[in-house]
Amino acid sequence: MGFHRPDRIEDALAALASGASVIAGGTDWYPSRGDGPVPMNVLDVTRLQGFRGITRDGAGWRIGAATTWTDIARADLPPAFDGLKRAAREVGGLQIQNAGTLGGNLCNASPAADGMPPLLTLDPKVELIGPHGAREVPLADFVTGPRQADLREGELLAALHIPDPGPSAGGFIKLGARKYLVISIAMVAALVHVEGGRVAWARVAVGACSPVARRLSALEADLQGVAVNALAGAVRPDHLKDLSPIGDVRGSAGYRLDAVAELVGRAIAQAARGA
Amino acid sequence: MTQLTMTVNGKAVSGDVEGRTLLVNFLRDTLRLTGTHVGCDTSQCGACVVHVNGQAVKACTMLALEAEGAEVATIEGQADADGSLNAIQQAFQDHHGLQCGFCTPGMVMSAAALLKENPKPTEAEVRDYLEGNICRCTGYHNIVKAIMAASGQDVGAIAAE
Repeated sequence: MGFHRPDRIEDALAALASGASVIAGGTDWYPSRGDGPVPMNVLDVTRLQGFRGITRDGAGWRIGAATTWTDIARADLPPAFDGLKRAAREVGGLQIQNAGTLGGNLCNASPAADGMPPLLTLDPKVELIGPHGAREVPLADFVTGPRQADLREGELLAALHIPDPGPSAGGFIKLGARKYLVISIAMVAALVHVEGGRVAWARVAVGACSPVARRLSALEADLQGVAVNALAGAVRPDHLKDLSPIGDVRGSAGYRLDAVAELVGRAIAQAARGA
Repeated sequence: MTQLTMTVNGKAVSGDVEGRTLLVNFLRDTLRLTGTHVGCDTSQCGACVVHVNGQAVKACTMLALEAEGAEVATIEGQADADGSLNAIQQAFQDHHGLQCGFCTPGMVMSAAALLKENPKPTEAEVRDYLEGNICRCTGYHNIVKAIMAASGQDVGAIAAE
C-alpha cells in the first residue's frame, strides 16, 4: 500500500507485485477513474533509472518510457522524428505535455493515442522488464486492442528502441473538432524517404480509425517509385480498406473515412516536403 | 498516510497525505492556498495550473506525492516581494484580462511559464500557449492583450473588444 517512487527497477517490480497501479505522469490516470474509487497503492515510474530521456544507441535511438512529450518536442532529433514531434505538441495542452509521457500513452492503449501513428512509422520495438527479465516486442504487436496491451503480469514498459531511420522525414496531421485540446477524429503519420525526386520508401500509419492504429501496407508498397510531384493522385480508396472506423460522438464512420483519405495525402505531402 | 515535503512559493512545507491525494487538494485543503482553482477536475480547463520545478502542470490530475521534494509555485507566490502585483498580474488588471476571475490564477501561471520560455511572444504564440487554459467570459482577447503588454510589447494595435 502507499505511494512508491523508486529509482531502482527491483523496487518497482516489487511494488508492482504488490498490486500497485502504475502512473507515468498520471495525466489520464485520475480522470479515467470517473466516479470510481481511486487506487490506494500507486507506483510512479518516472524516477526509475533509464526511464526518462532520449539517447543514441548503437542501432538507432532509445526513448525511455517516462520521457515527456515536452522532452520529445524539444529534443534535437533528425527529420524522421518530425511527425513524432508534431504529435507531441498535439497531446492535450502544454501543461499535459510537461507531465504526460510516451510510455503512459502507449500502455493506456487508446485507439486515439496521439503517439501511436508516428511511432508505428518509426518501426520501434518496446522493451519490457518483468520478474522474469527483459523482452522486446514490436510496437505493432504490443498494443493488441482498445485499452489492451501485451503487458504480462508484473511487467513494466521501460523504453522504445527505434532503428536508425536514415535520411527520411516524418509528417503528422491530426483532425479534431477544433484546433486545440481535442481527442482525434482521425490522424495520420507518414515517414518518407525521397531519392532523385521519387519516393524510395514510405510508411503511413492511421490512428483513431481502427481498434489499434495501423500501417497502410498496400499504400506503402504503391508509393515506392512515385515521383514527389505526382503524390497527389497516389492514394486510392482501396488503400484504406483495412480501416474500420466507428461512428461516435466525435464523428460518423463515413466522415472518418472521407476525412482520412484527405489526411493521408496531406501527411505524405508534408513528410515529402521535409525529405 | 505518507509524509510529504516540498517547497511551495519558496517555503518548506510538509504534511501527511494518502497516495491518492491530488496536488491541488494538498495545496487547497492542507496548505489552505485556495488561489489554485479546480474547474473541470479532468485537466482540460487549466484553472489549476501551478509550476512544479519550473514547468507548468495541471494540479488537478497530478498526485501530491509526485511533487515530493519539488519546488512548487502557485498564484499566491506571484506577487512581488513588497506584496504589489507582478507585471503579469498588473497587466491583467490594466487590460481587463478577466471577468469572473475563476480562470485567472491558471491564466497568470501559464502566462508566467510562457514568458519565462519566450520573453517576447507573438500574439499567435500567446494564443497557442494558452490552448490548455479555458475562459468562458472574456473571449480571450484581453487576456492575450494583457500577456503581450506584460512582455513589454506595444498593444496599441490590438483592438479592445
